[in-house]
Amino acid sequence: MATPTLEPDVKPAKKAAGRQSLHYRFILATYRIFAIGALYAVLLGVIAYAFVMGFYAVNNSWAAPIILSATDEKSLDFRAKLITSQQTIEDLKVDAAKMDSGLREMRSHRDALLALEPPIQAAIDRERQHDRVDGPQLTSLDSRKLADNAQTQQVLEQLDGMQANIQKDLAAGLITKADAASQLAALNQTATSYTDSRIAEVLLTDTVLDKTTLGSTTLEALEKQAELRSEAAQLDVAIHVADKELTEDNRQIARLHDAIATAKQSPYYLNASGQSLLNFAFVPYDNQASATLGSPIYDCYLNMIFCRKVGTIVTRFPGEEQVLHPIFKTQIRGFLIQMDLHRPESAKSRTVFLGGKPLLF
Amino acid sequence: MAPVLMWLIMVLCLAISVCKYLFGLILQLAHPSAKIRKNYNFEPTVSVLMPCYNEGKTVYETIESISKSNYPTEKFEVIAQDDCSADDSYEWMLKAERDFRNIRIRVGRNEENCGKARTVCNALVHSSAEIIISIDSDCIFHPGVIRELTASFSEPKVGSVGGRVGVRNPNENIITAIQTIVYYAAFELYKIPENWTRSVCCISGCLFAIRRELLLEIEPAIRARHWFGVPVNQGEDRFLTHQTLLRGYGTYINNDALCWTTVPNSLSVLFKQQLRWRRSIVRDFFFTLRSLPQHVFKLHPNTVLTLVLTPLGAIVALLVVVNSLISDPMAWAGPMPLVTALAIAAVLSWWIKKHSVRETVAHPLAFGAYIAWAIASSLFLTPLALFTMDSADWGTRAKTLQEVSVGNPHA
Repeated sequence: MATPTLEPDVKPAKKAAGRQSLHYRFILATYRIFAIGALYAVLLGVIAYAFVMGFYAVNNSWAAPIILSATDEKSLDFRAKLITSQQTIEDLKVDAAKMDSGLREMRSHRDALLALEPPIQAAIDRERQHDRVDGPQLTSLDSRKLADNAQTQQVLEQLDGMQANIQKDLAAGLITKADAASQLAALNQTATSYTDSRIAEVLLTDTVLDKTTLGSTTLEALEKQAELRSEAAQLDVAIHVADKELTEDNRQIARLHDAIATAKQSPYYLNASGQSLLNFAFVPYDNQASATLGSPIYDCYLNMIFCRKVGTIVTRFPGEEQVLHPIFKTQIRGFLIQMDLHRPESAKSRTVFLGGKPLLF
Repeated sequence: MAPVLMWLIMVLCLAISVCKYLFGLILQLAHPSAKIRKNYNFEPTVSVLMPCYNEGKTVYETIESISKSNYPTEKFEVIAQDDCSADDSYEWMLKAERDFRNIRIRVGRNEENCGKARTVCNALVHSSAEIIISIDSDCIFHPGVIRELTASFSEPKVGSVGGRVGVRNPNENIITAIQTIVYYAAFELYKIPENWTRSVCCISGCLFAIRRELLLEIEPAIRARHWFGVPVNQGEDRFLTHQTLLRGYGTYINNDALCWTTVPNSLSVLFKQQLRWRRSIVRDFFFTLRSLPQHVFKLHPNTVLTLVLTPLGAIVALLVVVNSLISDPMAWAGPMPLVTALAIAAVLSWWIKKHSVRETVAHPLAFGAYIAWAIASSLFLTPLALFTMDSADWGTRAKTLQEVSVGNPHA
């Protein structure tokens, strides 16, 4: 096929160029200038971005300033916890004092109770000793009394006949009424004596029972002794528990004191309790070699160039902190330092450099 | 406010994309009637226009594949138009004309290099067929491709029909493997909802069929395209599709009309190709915005959303990537994007292996590298496209006259 004849519009480049109005030329020129500028800006942006990424990937002297305000959440939380801890210490101290006092009282009471134990035991022993002696004697006497009373009863059985004889004699006029009354009184006296003797015998038997077996008195004494011992044992337990609690309270107080002492070294405590504005910075563990006390701190333009000394490191805090990497935005671990800045505005920089300038200028 | 708007647009774009993919899957699996009614008895005359620039021997292979078409040979012709190639492409075209005498082949040559779009128009001058099929000169076509395309024109309101572009070199390297998965997902999932509403927004220029009267109507607009006086010779496929839709016709991609292309196998070529595509997307976006009311009232909402949100998504993606790289530079390195990409790759690779063995990806895990490409392309392609709109450079076909062809067209 023959090459087709190109119509005028088949020469688009030349034709279009010929048609270009001044208006189009102006717009196109402006567009091209803008496009060149924009593309160079994009290129520079990409190079700068890559450089910043690379720089922060290899640099090991940067730190990220942190401004802790008085209303900083961590500081406030820290302060609240500190106050709570101090309050807990005070409460524990009051509890410990009360417990100590109660413990002393319990010990004194226990001593008093234990002091009663020997006299009670001695009294019981003494009683038992007497019983051992008196018991057999009284038993013997009781037997004799029983025999005597038996004889007396036989005599009294004969008195009924004598009383009849006295009545007969009185009726026969052998004796006077006075004699009869006198004789009857004598008989009645004898009977009364017999009754008394019987009562004595019963009482004696009772006494013998007391002396030869454990009587209620002895039992009461033993009960008292057991109660005393139980009370003493309970006091022992209570004293032991109270003693342990007291020890634990004291240990807790000591621990809280230690914690508060440690906390007082925290930047958050310093921030929460300090009167003046303090400057802190986060140092990742990778950069800890640069964070020595007294090292100079540099602040740089664009976070890496034209650096100037702005202060020194005054404190290095031991606690671990986790923050977002200021450039990579990944979670990193490290610690805080306190900075003494003579240019306070550097506290607002995204990064500062420890020990020296990162790029020699 | 601005960041919120930015994220809102980004989320909207992503949501619509995901919905389109999912909806495409549903339509593929459960709604086969969404496909066009094809009438294989409809056999109009067909002109296959093949613009060519620096393709060398490949152009011969392309014509060879067309010559094997099962469409009645008396009803179609091939019009090959060389755009002043610096290599021996023209000789290969002449050789094909000599060798494949079973079909009618016309070979022509432009007087001077004027770009693909105008070369197609130049080839059109010699055509008188009812259906015009424009093809890329580096593709290999399935024998049934012409029949499939013409059968799709049985619906009178369909103005343009495209075919599915498969990848000839899926396992050449990571870059081609990734493109294979992307191409397949685009044709078999993403474009299916657009097919359903007969409103495909961009039919690939590799295989583009259009009614003659419609192309003749659009041709002046193709020739007149310019960017403030600089002729535009790229993105004619997107432009043609867009114009088809605006003229009230439907557009459709018949995935049974298959052609195979060799995708870029190096980053530089891929980048140039993607830059060219991005330019045409941006250009199309400006055109859409300029006549938005016309679009809203004339086109299917699905089409308007795609025409607006695709380029808007590309612009917003640039801002999102920049914002992410500054605010959270390591976010992209997290496991989530990689796991997502690999999961998608695994599913799609399995799907491809099942339905298109020829495109089976040997190493689907290579798709993990797509994350890096997505970031780089979002970051560079859009600004480069925005600031090189006056460029006429095709990018992927540049050759000097001194370059010697490997083959021998005279053999």
